[in-house]
Amino acid sequence: MELLCCEVDPIRRAVPDPSLLFDDRVLLNLLTIEERYLPQCSYFKCVQKDIQPYMRRMVATWMLEVCEEQKCEEEVFPLAMNYLDRFLAGVPTPKCRLQLLGAVCMFLASKLKETIPLTAEKLCIYTDNSVKPQELLEWELVVLGKLKWNLAAVTPHDFIEHILRKLPLPKDKLLLIRKHAQTFIALCATDFNFAMYPPSMIATGSVGAAICGLQLDSEDNSLSEHLTELLAKITNTDVDCLKACQEQIEAVLVNNLRQVRQEEQQRNPAKTVDELDQASTPTDVRDVNL
Amino acid sequence: MSESPSRTRQIPCSGKLCRNLFGPVDHEQLQQDCQELMQSCTQEAQRRWNFDFITETPLEGDFAWERVRGLDLPSIYRPSGPWGREDLGGKRPKPQPSSPALLQMSAQGDHVDLSLSCTVVPLTPEREEGSKAGTSQPTRKHKQTSMTDFYHSKRRLIFYKRKP
Repeated sequence: MELLCCEVDPIRRAVPDPSLLFDDRVLLNLLTIEERYLPQCSYFKCVQKDIQPYMRRMVATWMLEVCEEQKCEEEVFPLAMNYLDRFLAGVPTPKCRLQLLGAVCMFLASKLKETIPLTAEKLCIYTDNSVKPQELLEWELVVLGKLKWNLAAVTPHDFIEHILRKLPLPKDKLLLIRKHAQTFIALCATDFNFAMYPPSMIATGSVGAAICGLQLDSEDNSLSEHLTELLAKITNTDVDCLKACQEQIEAVLVNNLRQVRQEEQQRNPAKTVDELDQASTPTDVRDVNL
Repeated sequence: MSESPSRTRQIPCSGKLCRNLFGPVDHEQLQQDCQELMQSCTQEAQRRWNFDFITETPLEGDFAWERVRGLDLPSIYRPSGPWGREDLGGKRPKPQPSSPALLQMSAQGDHVDLSLSCTVVPLTPEREEGSKAGTSQPTRKHKQTSMTDFYHSKRRLIFYKRKP
């Protein structure tokens, strides 16, 4: 008798579609339409009175953690942040409603991108039941209305494969580069400074930062000289803008690592800074377990 | 949760992530703001399409709304439920003639009938003149209170976007 082990990943994914990924018209169309989905203004200055930038960071961090714990698809979090920013760019909102909106945006993004989406009940549990499922469903309609049901926003993730396939990269490193780039994209989504940047620029900068962070460019001289130019050409980005964006992304990573370290220090005040430095500070971005 | 276990993510929520970030939520205020925002969405849509989506009546504006009889529709758009598919012309039994279409929609589930198509009315001078005399008349005629009698659920809007 043969025994079969039928335990498989319960989530079924479509295989990468070469007719979508290997066709430049797709990339061109993405570049043409991406700006339609950017928030209309820097809303802390002109729309919101109650909400401060640090509150966006708080809700974004919470959303990212929820998405990670629930093993959401990578696009869900940046897409949810896009919805949140677009909503906040149009509707003055009290801060006590920010978490509800964050939950609604995850709910919508998850439905759009996942085969088994997050449930309203689960999201409400994550708000410590400060929001009821019924309220989440009602506000889902409000957010949909304000976004004009335009949910299929372009995100940086849409560009990753298009960029990667045009770079001369070692095949065995692709997985790692992709993973690091995705992490950079998520980091960017938690930071409001990137909210108005075109997704293609964030994607290009993230891939650049991933390659530099893994020091693949120093191993391959042909790559190091032209990397930024090559990247800029793929997505029609200005080289200087791209450089600035990549530096900004790298700075966000450094900041985040510092923050994590501080939090750890607060949790274990007994340990000296030196100990912590030795214990948890990666000496190199390559050591960071992204 | 209502879903069967196989359809639900089985990852439990860890306690440390379950937190209320910005203090207590005023549920009454939430409800009130929700209604206000929904209303503003409806009004915006009404202005955009010159169509009253609550009462399902065309209004004056750039779009000329016109009823579409369902006969030339692909069968997928036609209802196959208790009302049959052959008769979209109004002979079908009227469930609740006086209630707004939206209410009927929710009452009857996801059943779909077809209703209106619209085209952009070019704003040429003669057209504007015409609209005063002639075209607005039929439009008004189209403010059928009886129109809702024939719609049961889905609504398909065929439109041509204005060039910006």
